[in-house]
Amino acid sequence: MLSIVKRILGQMKNDKRSLGLLLFAPLLVLTLLFFILSNSNYVPKLAVYDMNEKFVAELENYATVIEETEKPEAADYLEANDVDALIWTDSEGTHIELLEKNSKSVAALESIQDTNKALHPTQNELIIDYVYESVGDNQLDSLSFVFLGVISFFFVFILSGMSFVRERFGQTLERMLMTPIRRVDVIGGYTLGYGILAAVQSVVIILYAVYVLQLQVEGSVALCTLVMILMAFSAVSVGALVSIFANNELQLVQFIPVIIIPQIFFSGLILTPIYYGCTALEMIMIQGKGFFAIWPWLAGSVVFIGVLFLANVTALKKYRRL
Amino acid sequence: MKIEVCEVNKSFKQQQVLNQISLTIEGGRIFCLLGASGSGKTTLLRIMMGAIPADDGSVTIGGITVPNRQLLAEMGYMPQNEALYEELSAWQNLKFFAGLQRLNPKTFAAEAEALLQIVDMTACKNKLVRDCSGGMKKRISLAVALIHKPKLLVLDEPTVGVDPVLRRKIWHYLRQLRNEGTTIVVTTHVMDEVTQCDDAALLRNGHIIARDTVKNLIDQTPDGNIEELFFIDNLSEAEASLC
Repeated sequence: MLSIVKRILGQMKNDKRSLGLLLFAPLLVLTLLFFILSNSNYVPKLAVYDMNEKFVAELENYATVIEETEKPEAADYLEANDVDALIWTDSEGTHIELLEKNSKSVAALESIQDTNKALHPTQNELIIDYVYESVGDNQLDSLSFVFLGVISFFFVFILSGMSFVRERFGQTLERMLMTPIRRVDVIGGYTLGYGILAAVQSVVIILYAVYVLQLQVEGSVALCTLVMILMAFSAVSVGALVSIFANNELQLVQFIPVIIIPQIFFSGLILTPIYYGCTALEMIMIQGKGFFAIWPWLAGSVVFIGVLFLANVTALKKYRRL
Repeated sequence: MKIEVCEVNKSFKQQQVLNQISLTIEGGRIFCLLGASGSGKTTLLRIMMGAIPADDGSVTIGGITVPNRQLLAEMGYMPQNEALYEELSAWQNLKFFAGLQRLNPKTFAAEAEALLQIVDMTACKNKLVRDCSGGMKKRISLAVALIHKPKLLVLDEPTVGVDPVLRRKIWHYLRQLRNEGTTIVVTTHVMDEVTQCDDAALLRNGHIIARDTVKNLIDQTPDGNIEELFFIDNLSEAEASLC
């Protein structure tokens, strides 16, 4: 098993281009996505009515503020004046009225949060309302963690699937199986070898996303990394399994729409590794949950990897009966 | 190691590739499986090693029924195409397969050096396989099959694409191995190579049409040309016209 791990790492070391693609291509894709999806320098435009002066003064550090003397009708006002949020207070607390959930409204809310932080706020409760309540989650921002998971899954899937197809057609697999090696060791070596590469990739991606792209992570970055590594391991196993049904490299590529795309949209396929991974990532990154909240999802990933492992070991019987 | 093939049948998609093959290969001899391309040589080799199951019949090697994992440790296999890792050097390929065979890493270096000397690859042992020529790959592949000093050596067309000088060297080495007790099974469609072997079987359309020592086989032919054996019963051309 160790021989296979060493061999895979040696192969990668000698194949600089594949290694570069494995490590840097995801970063490039992520960077492009973040440019498209986030307006990190966006200064929100806020309207306030009847707010105390200290609050307004502080808020002006983070946003463009318009002071209204009369309380306007939120929906029409926000749309007509291209304002991101309207803030006012009454006996219930501080109201924040926003148009819809998008990256601009997130920026607006962040500026208010920053203001509150700076002021060490009164116990005033924040009441957030959206004019257009969208179904489900905020789309753009919730996608950021999906992309983190999917991109690494995707690259690892292709890498492991392709190399397995190539082993079969270069007959190196047959040659490998004509030695006393056990099938468990073949799959174990494969999973571990590509798993290590995938884990390195995951760490690079998450560090890049958090420290270079400044992606907001509420929970622990280490926990995120753990989830990504688990996803990467399942990607290796899925790649190896799918390669058995592919008769050549082209067919493996043709499997991508079948295997990956439905998982991205979570279309009822609850039993998919991307679903487990992304749900856990969401809980950590957006909701700031800790290990004890997400362990069922982690356990799900581990079970998935185990099942795929056994499936692969069995499938290898096609090439040697022992 | 004595190999006994007993009434083996094999078909792929209703096409019968091997038909009631029974064959005994004595230990410590060089045995040649001779036949045109597509006559089922490689399939028979694979069944003998246990890579693929036969439809019926059985194979035993040294009294042990195939497939058997312990048996694989005593077997060296060189497939028809190179079956090497392109991104690794010759040395790394050897090291990998030595690892699979659980060779002692301490003695590996000396053994690999000696082996590369025989296949004349010492100078380019650190060259990546993808940069090697066809003949070089063939030599590396042979070295890989020999790395664990197998008692049974299975070579599928070992000298295709190897130049005459090196071919002679390889045959010389194979005979030396046989003298040390290794059983060697070789397939070829190059008739003049048969003379290098001790025994031979002729395979045609899934049947064994002749099986004897090479010397006896040559004596049967009118002019000492072993190719004549394929035409000995005048069936060959009739069968060829069926395709």
